Amino acid sequence: MKISILGGATTKFGELWNISPRDLAREAIFGALANSNIKSTQVEALFVGNMLSGILANQANLGSLFAEELGSFVPAMRVEGACASGGLALHNGINALKAGVYKTVVVLGIEKMTDHESNAITNGLMAAGSDEERMAGATFPGLYALIARAYMQKYNVTEEALAGVSVKNHFHGSLNPKAQFQRVITVDNVMKSAKIADPLKLLDCSPISDGAAAIVITSDPNPRAIHNKPVEILASEVATDSLSLHERESFVSLKSVVKASQNAYKKTGIKATDIQVAEIHDCFSIAEAIAVEDLGFSEKGMGAKDISKGKYTLTKGKIITNPSGGLKACGHPVGATGIKQIVEITEQLRGVAGKRQVKNAELGLAHNVGGSGAVAVIHILQNNL
Amino acid sequence: MTITPVKLWRRQKETSALIGKIGKIVLWTIIRVPAKSFKEQAPYPVVIVEFSKSGLENSKPERMILQLVDWNQKDLKIGQKVITVLRRHQTDDNEGIIPYNIKCKPIG
Repeated sequence: MKISILGGATTKFGELWNISPRDLAREAIFGALANSNIKSTQVEALFVGNMLSGILANQANLGSLFAEELGSFVPAMRVEGACASGGLALHNGINALKAGVYKTVVVLGIEKMTDHESNAITNGLMAAGSDEERMAGATFPGLYALIARAYMQKYNVTEEALAGVSVKNHFHGSLNPKAQFQRVITVDNVMKSAKIADPLKLLDCSPISDGAAAIVITSDPNPRAIHNKPVEILASEVATDSLSLHERESFVSLKSVVKASQNAYKKTGIKATDIQVAEIHDCFSIAEAIAVEDLGFSEKGMGAKDISKGKYTLTKGKIITNPSGGLKACGHPVGATGIKQIVEITEQLRGVAGKRQVKNAELGLAHNVGGSGAVAVIHILQNNL
Repeated sequence: MTITPVKLWRRQKETSALIGKIGKIVLWTIIRVPAKSFKEQAPYPVVIVEFSKSGLENSKPERMILQLVDWNQKDLKIGQKVITVLRRHQTDDNEGIIPYNIKCKPIG
């Protein structure tokens, strides 16, 4: 069965104090519907990706809440998998289409974070970790700092090389009008920013953000009758690993990412080198360095160095990673991220990404990770021109 | 984080068995922006410690993630020997209990 994306939309990402979660959801959903040539009455179900609403705002039951905003009381449910909640919601939506239960559904990713103070958010995000990690006082930047330490030591990588990830993503973000940060930064800016969890500094870390993104997917065998540029979802793969970082065999590779991407490559016959554009889960600079290795784009230990050298930078590279600016510059409203990645790849494959357009993009990949690698979701998309 | 009295009671037996174990730091960081309940302790190191299981050949080493206490900058190195100790866990708690937990301190 062919699963197609008819269209999608994201809100602006950032500190959106004057916009409520309901407003965010409405803007993303109706933006996606308009972009897909679909009316709200044609939507048969709503899948919502969100992590923190229950913890931070004491608001659960998000399926019904956002069905109200859709204006149609269809079957609706929330899917949670930490920062991979968006990707997991899409995986569930796809499975429902494949099961033949629905034909056309909306997948919404949403998060409202900046209403809350930073220690409360740090605390909330640690819900994605294990009891042992919380008892030790670890934070998410802390866990990725441990990974960074292991990676730098094993492959003789400098903090400056890791900083190159943020520099690239801010450059890409400067071309994206929806991005939280639209200014370029230098390696020196990263090196001089405040330490968060050694060796990670403020500009190694993705920000706290508000935002929503939505897409419309369908199993209609003739999607071109609805939209002239449908994008096909070739693979949707999920893999899990231990919740705790310290239980893992390796600290310099995320097994869940290797497994999910290998499954996606195997099932589609696509090789890593066939891909032109990828949205990567760069919650921290170290995360993208490891991701490009785990996805098979770079040799082991070469990720940070390749990124710093421009191997994945717009107009320079063969595979462009995070043309949206990634989590670092576009922003990271955690539940929205996985869907924003899909919207970005869809726009890239349709050739409507404006200043940040990747030339001749035909195959795109989205890499969405939850926790310190406890869950990974990989989607491969192809333009269907 | 919320620690209920029941949860603390349930883990008591396990906790006492973990005191006095000697291991080595394999990874370390310093947390400068902590979660709410660790606010008053920051900055503090969090380390992954490896304990070799004696008598079991080729067994996977046992690891724990722990807060490091009684530390100096010189102790923050890979290979540093540490011992597990029982310490007060966090400062605030809604349940009014004073939770104690396993942490580790440098030795040798």
